[in-house]
Amino acid sequence: MPVNPVTCDSILSSDLVCASLRRRHRHARAANLLVGAGTALVLVGLLAIPLYLVSALGSSHAATPVDWTRLGVLFAGSLRATACAMAVALPLGIATAMFNAHLCAPRLRAWLKPALEVLDAIPSVVFGLVAAVSFAPWLKTHVASMLAFVVALPCVLLACGFAFGASSRRDGWLPLWLLPLVVATAALVFALASQREVAMLQPSSPWNAMLVGLALGVAALPLVFSVAEDALFLVPHSHAQAAFALGATRWQALTTVILPAAGSGLFAAALLGFMRCFGETMIVLMASGNTAIAGFDPLSGLRSLGADIALGMPDAAPASAAWRDLLIAALVLLALNMLFGVTAQLVRERLRRRMPSETVA
Amino acid sequence: MKGVREGAAGTWLLGGIAAACIAIMLGLLVFTLGMGLASLWPARVERIELRDGAVLLGEIVATDATSLVMRGDEAERIGGGYRRVRRADIRARDVPVDAVVLQLGDGRRRFAVGETPAELAQAHLMTEVLRPNAMGPFERTGVFLRHLFAFVTTPPDASNLSGGVLPALIGTVTLVLLMSVLVMPLGIATAVYLHQRRGPGMRIVRAAIDTLAGVPAIVYGVLGLGLFVHGVGGGIDRWFYPDRLPMPTFGSGGLLWAALTLALLTLPVVVVSVEQGLARIPAGLRTGSLALGATREETLWRLLLPAARPAVLTGLIMAISRAAGSVAPLMLVGMVKLAPASPLDGAFPYVHPSRQFMHLGFAVYDAALASPDAIRGVPRAYACAMLLVSVVIVLNLSAILLRNRLRDRYRALET
Repeated sequence: MPVNPVTCDSILSSDLVCASLRRRHRHARAANLLVGAGTALVLVGLLAIPLYLVSALGSSHAATPVDWTRLGVLFAGSLRATACAMAVALPLGIATAMFNAHLCAPRLRAWLKPALEVLDAIPSVVFGLVAAVSFAPWLKTHVASMLAFVVALPCVLLACGFAFGASSRRDGWLPLWLLPLVVATAALVFALASQREVAMLQPSSPWNAMLVGLALGVAALPLVFSVAEDALFLVPHSHAQAAFALGATRWQALTTVILPAAGSGLFAAALLGFMRCFGETMIVLMASGNTAIAGFDPLSGLRSLGADIALGMPDAAPASAAWRDLLIAALVLLALNMLFGVTAQLVRERLRRRMPSETVA
Repeated sequence: MKGVREGAAGTWLLGGIAAACIAIMLGLLVFTLGMGLASLWPARVERIELRDGAVLLGEIVATDATSLVMRGDEAERIGGGYRRVRRADIRARDVPVDAVVLQLGDGRRRFAVGETPAELAQAHLMTEVLRPNAMGPFERTGVFLRHLFAFVTTPPDASNLSGGVLPALIGTVTLVLLMSVLVMPLGIATAVYLHQRRGPGMRIVRAAIDTLAGVPAIVYGVLGLGLFVHGVGGGIDRWFYPDRLPMPTFGSGGLLWAALTLALLTLPVVVVSVEQGLARIPAGLRTGSLALGATREETLWRLLLPAARPAVLTGLIMAISRAAGSVAPLMLVGMVKLAPASPLDGAFPYVHPSRQFMHLGFAVYDAALASPDAIRGVPRAYACAMLLVSVVIVLNLSAILLRNRLRDRYRALET
């Protein structure tokens, strides 16, 4: 910031004040320079990722052609794992977010959201450990019961809600009350179904796409929940109140007014969840078996792009053909994530701009 | 009242799914912590008499419907005492009160009944003698606590199958500290820049940070290996250590490159947290300072940044928690199963940034899937996972508490 001559000359004419002012402005300039230099360094570091990948690929002179079929199989593997994970994370995450944002008791909401956000920080290697070592042997013999549970739980909940449910103020605490019901349903289904395993549903390996999907889906659940909850909570309360005034119940207000208004936010949640799953390495590395199998069978193993990089890169010699193929894999991961990330960012920005600012909590 | 019934059913469905999410998450957490703690609990020693007259002494480590696996006396080598016993072959099974467990320094476990065998009692390798069957619950808890303490404060034994995880802990802490030193000044500078400036420069920086926040961790690992290790590290070796080539000094994975990689990975977390902290400071504070004649920079350094100190701390904690849990990029840039030398020791200059190191997260992966003795490896992996999860959860809870304190402070400033 330049020294203001008017101030210096006419008002504060003392030499002492002038010198002090000059010193202060020198300090300010130095501080600005520091901040600018730090930011520039950060920018260089961040831009180094795409620039390095592109330039390293451009300067690669490996003789053998790129093995596109293998890369295709890896890509399909990543996609299959991500699809399975989204089948878990999206319904669970969005349903929990819907409940949490508009039906939940405020006191329950105050700790439910931070609790799920803390769980977002659990290292993925822990999910991988539980899935690969403890859950895989169990799931191998319980695929049919798992599917039965997925069908039975909503049916039981809907039936019980229809029979015993009555809209009341106490509905806000439902998750805690229904905890025993959910656990009991799970226990019952697994006890009944584990005797009758269907031969068609026998996975060839305990490490398969379904296991990866379950582990990855649970790992991505807090992220999907968090973004979806933000989007739903951002819908102004006046929308819901208008619906109430017209005679809508809480449920009708939620499904007919709030859900459509937050639609693009839910889309962003799905995109971010997809990104998280597609780039995830440790869970897939530990739970997928790492055999490059093509196809769409959720009960066979797979090998993903990220796992391939983690396994192959430390041993690949720089400038070899294998190294170049791994760089291409990394570039694919980067490009897809940037594409999805930018889209999600734009969607969220648009949502935020459309919503009146008074509700931004 | 059809709508009410429908609404109740729908509400129950959503509430039930929310309950399922809570159950899954709690179950996962309790399972991991429980398995980790159980692996340090002193196990009972059982004696099994088979129908053919043989008598086996040891710990039951796995069971299924038709058989059980027993870890017996490991007289020769670690992992040499496992025996699968069919339940149909068992004639009698009991828990002898005077059974002794000896833990040797090379990881072997020996079992005996009665007096401690003389040839073992003199062995200087012996690290622990227990009579687990004779212990009461309090004594057992005492031993468990001692195991827990030893697990974090001792190095693993020669086999890397049992003993503590001190080197991995030191590696993780050193790595995270070095990363914090690198990331905090840069992150704060960037946040200040974003807070102060308007215009194209700010928009480019923001776009870069937003976009790269979601880049998969493994891609950062590729950058670390290709650019830092092979590019910069190889260059340093060629210029400064040509006499040591082809043995790499900086040109192989090491602490410094791993810390740099993680610093890039955690940068967006720090920037976003600090910037939000700066943005939430009440405008009156800023304008008041400017009205009193402070320059913009003085306001920033003397007033805004100190007021945003909890946000800076939150950013640091979130970055540490993210860095402590990320394993994939580190697999590429210098993490090893068993480091020959610690990156932190008593020899000048005390921290050795070019050395390879061990990491708690990698220890989980390695013990679970690459251990030569899976029956020892899996409980060990869970013990490491328990440590990792508790650290990350404590860090995150403190970040949340700090954030709440920050909110209260701003509220106090506004009134």
